[in-house]
Amino acid sequence: MTYWAVNAVFLAIVAVVGVLALVTAAVRGRAERASSSPGASTRRRREAVLGAGIATGVLLVMTAVFDNVMIGIGLVGYDAARISGVFVGIAPLEDFAYAVAALVLLPSVWVLLGGPKAPRAPKAATSAAAAAAAAASKEARS
Amino acid sequence: MGFVYLAALLVSLFGMVMLDRRFRLFFWRDVPRAAVTLLVGVVFFLIWDVVGIDLGIFFRGETSFMTGVLVATELPLEEVFFLTLLCYLTMNLLAGARMVAAVVLDRRGSSTAVAGDPAAARSTDGASS
Repeated sequence: MTYWAVNAVFLAIVAVVGVLALVTAAVRGRAERASSSPGASTRRRREAVLGAGIATGVLLVMTAVFDNVMIGIGLVGYDAARISGVFVGIAPLEDFAYAVAALVLLPSVWVLLGGPKAPRAPKAATSAAAAAAAAASKEARS
Repeated sequence: MGFVYLAALLVSLFGMVMLDRRFRLFFWRDVPRAAVTLLVGVVFFLIWDVVGIDLGIFFRGETSFMTGVLVATELPLEEVFFLTLLCYLTMNLLAGARMVAAVVLDRRGSSTAVAGDPAAARSTDGASS
């Protein structure tokens, strides 16, 4: 089995968790939109997309830098027969699958652990109140 | 020399905790939720590592930078800390980048107001100064 074949299996698992989180977020978002202004949810989505883009760029660059250092000083070695031979510096391209997986899996698990707002009543109430206050102050400003 | 890599990882992890505390990024948002997320991530990547090692795709390098303590065949103790750092960094980065995104969108929003409506521009200037 090649490094890519192994990555395909693990990335597929990550993709499933990612889709589950997206569906969960969409369902929760629909419930929230019913109770808040449409502008606020559009803004939240834009923030999430731009933030994820920035984080992805930074993490991929950091992976390229530190993976090269780690391989360069001999912390890890690879069987040349099982990697594709595509490198970023001296780092196999396959290694970037870890960073991509982390960027999808971790926030997805975080979202899935969030649960519906209702059972966490005290906390949800405070954050809802804070959000309402923030929205009100924003409206007053504009 | 054997502790160089482990020490570097621990220093980096300490940095992650400080950033988390300062900007409320991960554990400082929700401790149990962050703990489970981090644990799921580290276990998932450890399994990935073990599969890769079993298939002979990658292996521990012969280096004096590591302690030589193994938690499984060819799996150095340091890898557990590396994966913890990767997961903590990812979550801190996502939360931090979202804060940056909020600032960027705010700035873009106010600059279009400046271009579109001089009155709005004056009121924004008044608010910011």
